[in-house]
Amino acid sequence: MEKTFILHMLTTAKNLSPFDVNMALDAGWVSAVPYTHVEASEVKDLVQDVIFSRSAKGLKRTGIFIGGRDTKQATDMLKTAKNSMFSPFEVSVFADPSGAFTTAAGMVAAVESELDTKFNTSFEGKTLLALGGTGPVGQAAAVLAAQAGANVRIVGRQLDKAQRIADLCNDEFGDGKINIQAGTNADIAEYIKTADVVFATGAAGIELLNAEHIASAQQLKVAADINAVPPSGIVGLDAFDNGKEIAGSPSGAVGLGALAIGNIKYKTQSQLLKTMTESDKAVYLHFEHAFEVARQIVKSSK
Amino acid sequence: MPKRSILHMFDPMSNNSPFDINMALDTGFDVLMPYSNVKLDSIHGLTQDAIFSRSPSGIKRTAIFIGGRDMGLAMDMMNAAKQAMVPPFEVSVLADPSGAFTTAAALVACVEKQLKEKHKKALKDCKALVFGGTGPVGIATGVIASLAGADVSLVDHMSIDAANDAAKEYNRRCQGHLSGAVAGSDAEKAALIADVDIIFCTAKAGIQVLSADVLAQAVNLKVAGDVNAVPPSGIAGIGATDASIALTHPAGAIGIGALAVGNIKYKVQNKLLELCLSTEKPVYLDFREAFIEAQKVV
Repeated sequence: MEKTFILHMLTTAKNLSPFDVNMALDAGWVSAVPYTHVEASEVKDLVQDVIFSRSAKGLKRTGIFIGGRDTKQATDMLKTAKNSMFSPFEVSVFADPSGAFTTAAGMVAAVESELDTKFNTSFEGKTLLALGGTGPVGQAAAVLAAQAGANVRIVGRQLDKAQRIADLCNDEFGDGKINIQAGTNADIAEYIKTADVVFATGAAGIELLNAEHIASAQQLKVAADINAVPPSGIVGLDAFDNGKEIAGSPSGAVGLGALAIGNIKYKTQSQLLKTMTESDKAVYLHFEHAFEVARQIVKSSK
Repeated sequence: MPKRSILHMFDPMSNNSPFDINMALDTGFDVLMPYSNVKLDSIHGLTQDAIFSRSPSGIKRTAIFIGGRDMGLAMDMMNAAKQAMVPPFEVSVLADPSGAFTTAAALVACVEKQLKEKHKKALKDCKALVFGGTGPVGIATGVIASLAGADVSLVDHMSIDAANDAAKEYNRRCQGHLSGAVAGSDAEKAALIADVDIIFCTAKAGIQVLSADVLAQAVNLKVAGDVNAVPPSGIAGIGATDASIALTHPAGAIGIGALAVGNIKYKVQNKLLELCLSTEKPVYLDFREAFIEAQKVV
């Protein structure tokens, strides 16, 4: 009898996200087992309990998912998990805290596609504002865009926090190869004048860009918003918008709403969960892999 | 439609062990339900909720697994579950905290087999040490070997009190004859192992407890078994996959590695879980049944 597909789902939070559980079961995992309140120091033991209880063949049908809310913690747990295994006792691990990695990947891939099709350009050299960018999605999206060549500024309510997050992104997630700047909401009116791209990843219900901002954004090309709950983070942008021109934009900028991005996110997460069940070799997946998959999904949907 | 088989997994820790989850699903349980942070006084209620919600034929497809990290607590929980049964509303219960019962059972059975085959000895003729003896696997190993007649000391690497307390507690619980010992330095270890026949190593993964130099002092050593699968091995010269390797020093001694023990443990746990599903009459399984099963498997 073939071994059943088991996904061990670790989270630092009190509960798993039902989103991730549904996604995992729909992607073909038969059993999704929750481990909650997991601390970083417990990951090694949990992982070794996973790998030593099945044969190498059975381990191909075993995986670990890392959820939680914190990108740094999830990335560290992914590293610990990887370092706790040794051949042939290895299983695939996928980190997607708060779904942030796949959401960010979906957003960045969708924006990239709009830049390409509507403006015949790329992220290379573009000025990009990550508004409400200190959260998990903002961080991952900022890093992906910076890695694709954009000059990114993470903008938050407090400058010191934004700076701390920018440093984290540059050093931890970007391996010191990117240089994300920090800024504060008070200066959005100034920043927007030279922005080519805007990511809005703030808390639900807070408008980050108003009509005046849009009117003064002389070179804005694409604005994306992950907030599905009205009012949207960018005035005039609807959750269903998928490349629609933003009303009042002097530069003909287009908007991407939460549901258009969510659609790609959904497919990306599902594909990565499937990859874990199909891969012959153990894979360790995070936002960079999510971005590769999201790009393919955007490309093939054209 | 036949009822699906359900394993209710009670655990005093914040999470179940992924090891037990994999094992239970591989044994064929259809549904696993984890219960975490379970307290001893909740066991009665949980058990009765499990037995009264299915017909007598349905509860044959229902079982309880008790995990955790503490052998004494697991035994107490097992007793509490047993007392909560109301025949014919009764389900099988397997206790295996941290997999300690099945790991210890496999370790002792492997060592016993080598003793008999290579040295014509039984456990009752032997003096044994358990390094890492105050952890769950160490205590269970000590208890099983002691009940089989060996003269066993639990060795703690820091505290003689911890070792003595564990020995005393489990002698009371299990009617064994354990004693305690401490050995932190190589000199202490060398002194301790000078006259023993058996060394069980159940210390933390990835830590070498006995170097080759220290091990060479164990001039009476007949068999040494190690459950640490993460390099370096707990005992120098024993590789994880060694099922029966002749050690260079001391000459004549046999070493058994973690994956060889693990292979038996795996079969034992699998068999005990299967028993919970296949039995006509409910069974209550702990380290005793695990050892009997392990003896059959080796």
